[in-house]
Amino acid sequence: MIGAPLRRREDLRFLTGQARYVADLEVPRMLHAAFLRSPHAHARLVGIDAAPARSAPGVAACLTGEELHRHVRPLRAPSRMKDYRPTDFPALALGKVRHAGEAVAAVVAESRYAAEDALDLIEVEYAPLPAVAEAPAAMAEGSPLVHEDAGSNVLLSRAFAQGDVETAFRGAAAVVGDRFRFHRHAGVAIENRACLADFDAGRGALTLWTSTQIPGIVRDALAELLALPAQSVRVVAPDVGGGFGVKTVLYPEEIAVAVLARRLGQPVKWVGDRREDLLSSTQAWDEIIDAELALDAEGAIRGLRARVVADVGAYSIYPWTASIEVIQVVSFLPGPYRVPHYRAEAFGVATNKAPMGPYRGVGRPVAVFVMEALLDRAARRLGLDPLEVRRRNVIRSGELPYRSPSGIVWDSGSFAECLERAAEVAGYAGLRQEQERARAAGRRLGIGLGSYVELTGVGSAIPVSPGADIATGTEGATVRMEPGGGVTAIFGLACHGQGHETALAQVVAAELGVKVDDVRVLQGDTGLSPHGTGTYASRSAVLGGGAAILAARAVRDKALAIAAHQLEASAGDLEIAAGVIGVRGVPDRALTLAQVTAAAYAGTKRLPKGMEPGLEATRFYDPYLGTASNATHLAVVEVDPSTCAVRVLRYVVVEDCGRIINPLIVEGQAIGGVVQGIGAALLEELVYAADGQLLTATLMDYLVPTAGDVPAIEVHHVERPSPTTLGGFKGVGEGGTIGAPAAVANAVADALAPLGIEITELPVTGERLFRLLAARR
Amino acid sequence: MKPPRFDYHAPTSLDEALSLLGRYGGDAKLLAGGQSLMPLLNFRLSRPAALIDLNRIPALAYIKEADGQVRFGAMTRQRAVEFSPVVQARLPLLQEATRWVGHLPIRTRGTIGGSIAHADPSAEYPAVLAALEGQVVVRGPRGERTLRPEQLFRTYLTTSLEADEILTEVRLPGMPAGAGYAFEEFARRHGDFAIIGIAAMVIVEGRRCRTARLATAGAGPVPVRLRAAEEILEKDGLGDAAIDAAAQSAGELVGPDSDIHASADYRRHLTRVLTARALRRALARAGGR
Ligand SMILES: Cc1cc2nc3c(=O)[nH]c(=O)nc-3n(C[C@H](O)[C@H](O)[C@H](O)COP(=O)(O)OP(=O)(O)OC[C@H]3O[C@@H](n4cnc5c(N)ncnc54)[C@H](O)[C@@H]3O)c2cc1C
Repeated sequence: MIGAPLRRREDLRFLTGQARYVADLEVPRMLHAAFLRSPHAHARLVGIDAAPARSAPGVAACLTGEELHRHVRPLRAPSRMKDYRPTDFPALALGKVRHAGEAVAAVVAESRYAAEDALDLIEVEYAPLPAVAEAPAAMAEGSPLVHEDAGSNVLLSRAFAQGDVETAFRGAAAVVGDRFRFHRHAGVAIENRACLADFDAGRGALTLWTSTQIPGIVRDALAELLALPAQSVRVVAPDVGGGFGVKTVLYPEEIAVAVLARRLGQPVKWVGDRREDLLSSTQAWDEIIDAELALDAEGAIRGLRARVVADVGAYSIYPWTASIEVIQVVSFLPGPYRVPHYRAEAFGVATNKAPMGPYRGVGRPVAVFVMEALLDRAARRLGLDPLEVRRRNVIRSGELPYRSPSGIVWDSGSFAECLERAAEVAGYAGLRQEQERARAAGRRLGIGLGSYVELTGVGSAIPVSPGADIATGTEGATVRMEPGGGVTAIFGLACHGQGHETALAQVVAAELGVKVDDVRVLQGDTGLSPHGTGTYASRSAVLGGGAAILAARAVRDKALAIAAHQLEASAGDLEIAAGVIGVRGVPDRALTLAQVTAAAYAGTKRLPKGMEPGLEATRFYDPYLGTASNATHLAVVEVDPSTCAVRVLRYVVVEDCGRIINPLIVEGQAIGGVVQGIGAALLEELVYAADGQLLTATLMDYLVPTAGDVPAIEVHHVERPSPTTLGGFKGVGEGGTIGAPAAVANAVADALAPLGIEITELPVTGERLFRLLAARR
Repeated sequence: MKPPRFDYHAPTSLDEALSLLGRYGGDAKLLAGGQSLMPLLNFRLSRPAALIDLNRIPALAYIKEADGQVRFGAMTRQRAVEFSPVVQARLPLLQEATRWVGHLPIRTRGTIGGSIAHADPSAEYPAVLAALEGQVVVRGPRGERTLRPEQLFRTYLTTSLEADEILTEVRLPGMPAGAGYAFEEFARRHGDFAIIGIAAMVIVEGRRCRTARLATAGAGPVPVRLRAAEEILEKDGLGDAAIDAAAQSAGELVGPDSDIHASADYRRHLTRVLTARALRRALARAGGR
């Protein structure tokens, strides 16, 4: 069952339009909210006249920031980081607006149409302030401050050092370096954010249905903000159409609809539209990285140094804080390579742009782009093949566990094996010959490599976001036998496209000895599940899978004990398969799990002496440190130097996510991630004007790759079960996006290397290539 | 993203549509395929008092041949154009251009009349209209008039149609047998509006180029007919040097703007590259007949 390429059972409802997203939910007496959003990137709020909106047809309420925040305080994401300046994030702007698209007021009306009509009637007087839309400018002396009370736009900084970098560089045979830039990126889940709040005044209880990855965190935070006991708040993530990290944040709209529903005594629903999504959902990356790599004459890395400046936008997000992206860039920069001496510093700088948050890969796509670009420059400088430079530096399996210079311990992995396998399955030597032939015929082919190692399934030892003051190290599972012998398995996870209903059913079924089809997985509902936080950070297979194993094992042990009692056998002689418990070697002495379950619920009379009735168990799992997951990506591209078009011709992934629960799901995750990585490398960019206006607020301007823009992606596996997690699972949800920008960027650079062109900025759009080529013409 | 309130009318005849248009005195919008209008409504960038839906007027959707022309009712879907045997035989340039218009679902709704009336300078149909010297027929309370592309297109998203007029028909002269043609386009993704598109047709006589037609999409506020470049070819033929000279000239004839997708310089460069490519492909086809 574990390892079987089962089709995802949830797909039928997704593909036939039977899924139930927040937008599909209807609650009696439900009202609709719309948010007025700031047209300015930075402005003082002088006055708001909401009266005309309040008296518009069909309007139930219109709320400004000052009114809302009489009922709830602004969010503040705490951090344990030393150099961190905490700042407030009001749900509706208070005093001033800090980015274009920030919510300023909310209207609740009988329909979304009426609500939007009323938005038109709200009179806001803004006094525009100078906006700062780039991190370097925001760091400079005299820059306008995004948060005056913070005293600086530099909201956080941190330095890492290992060894003696100065000496390593002084004695180097080659030093390569550059200033890299990775532009801002949007998550673009197919389903925009949406939420629906219903306050049951009679019970004093709030239910919030929300398109989120973190129902547990939203529940705990909302309960605190609204001064309700946690048990009186239920947060449900129904079917969720993608998240990619963007839905791991507590959002202003979730707070606002909860407050409004409570005040109005009527359910309030908000369904974000695409423009709101692009303007106000968290965004990714936006970093400038100065990095240098020192090598000896044989191509062995001597040292690495880097300075990373991240534009974290206007607000520090809850719960991860503004540190989530930039600190991970420096944590993961050394990659799967031996880097004896390392020094790096990171800065998170506030600007008048939408808040930055986690996005598939978090920091690693940027880190891998930079490190792999440096390795290719080193290869060119030293006259070595790019594959060869990597061979000389990649950490070998025999060196594991390995402590990286930023302090992360790689417990296991197959870094060199994935590199070699990628070269082998892609036919690397043959590709190089093909490239030569193409070059002779005037065509520019390029081959790019990108390898990464990341930490997945992080347990309680480390915060998933540096400094964030929130516990994310455990997940629980409840496994319950139902009359008839079927199984309900309940998790605090919140699947948003990863196929948990299939994969976790496989894990439970394998442990319990039932058919996969007999296991139903429930999740994303704090009212049903044991405590948990949700699905993010490539954690669900490791933490959810581990909890599933523990809970299923407990149920299995109890079922065996009951069966042993009834069959008058020893539990040790029993085995379970396909829902039947039999005595090993005695085929006619058997009970179905349905019979055992009936006995368990029938009570004491049919149970062993002293046994508690019932057949269910709840167990929690904490993998403590987490486990390494790694892969090598290889891209082949063709660049048309006349039109500056880049076409990805071939794409190979060789990945190691440990013990594979379902290869179809793993491949789906890798492919989806790679497509997003190709988008990041070639197309996707949130462009802000100097005054902080977002110029890419539609999907006609923010370009995500379509099926026509990507080749068939070949995924191969090197399966090294994790030695440190239950089940041997490692995370795989983010990897595709981590390796792809590097592989594609290196392939483009490789195609253009004869022209002396290096790629330092992503996405490498036609316009950027045109300018690079024009400079060489 | 919900449109403000508007009245909705679904007339079944052109006269009825015209009288409704008149009644709103310029404050109504015609709804064709809706592929451009609906986003404008949803963004509240367009706030008409009424929508007059042309989709229930069967008399506005047809493809027929008359007087050496192919005539399209304004409500003819782009998808119908794409698969019309008449278009394939008489206007292969239009057929090729149609494949660059958005994606299948968009072409299923989008109309030839809507595309031209919308006057997006990056759209393919206006470029083909310019290259083939087509015309549009316009009906209004003052009667019917026909407009050539240079009379029709004013600037971005703006035509010389009056608020009470309806574009009823698009007329394109059938391409002479043996004409070579090509539509070259560069877009950031397939299906996006052109960064630059070039519509080209050549009629070859022996070693001479009897007629050359070149027009752009995306190279300025209206489709640009590249007459000076055409003249180079009509004078010097379709040799490599002439094609390169025409491409060079094309780059000088256009006055593109910069936007987030491409700078003016890049667009000018693409105009040169794609003009040369279009001409070479057109020539190869002309030679092939
Ligand atoms: C994702 C996407 C991609 C697209 N890509 C392309 C592309 O690559 N190339 C391209 O050319 N187009 C593209 N389009 C636009 C598409 O071709 C539209 O259909 C077209 O521009 C307008 O045609 P329509 O029939 O939809 O008109 P509508 O949207 O209904 O109307 C557009 C405008 O024209 C007016 N109008 C319509 N018909 C008439 C008439 N008979 N008389 C007077 N005024 C009229 C309307 O009042 C409105 O102002 C794309 C659209 C989308 C959504």
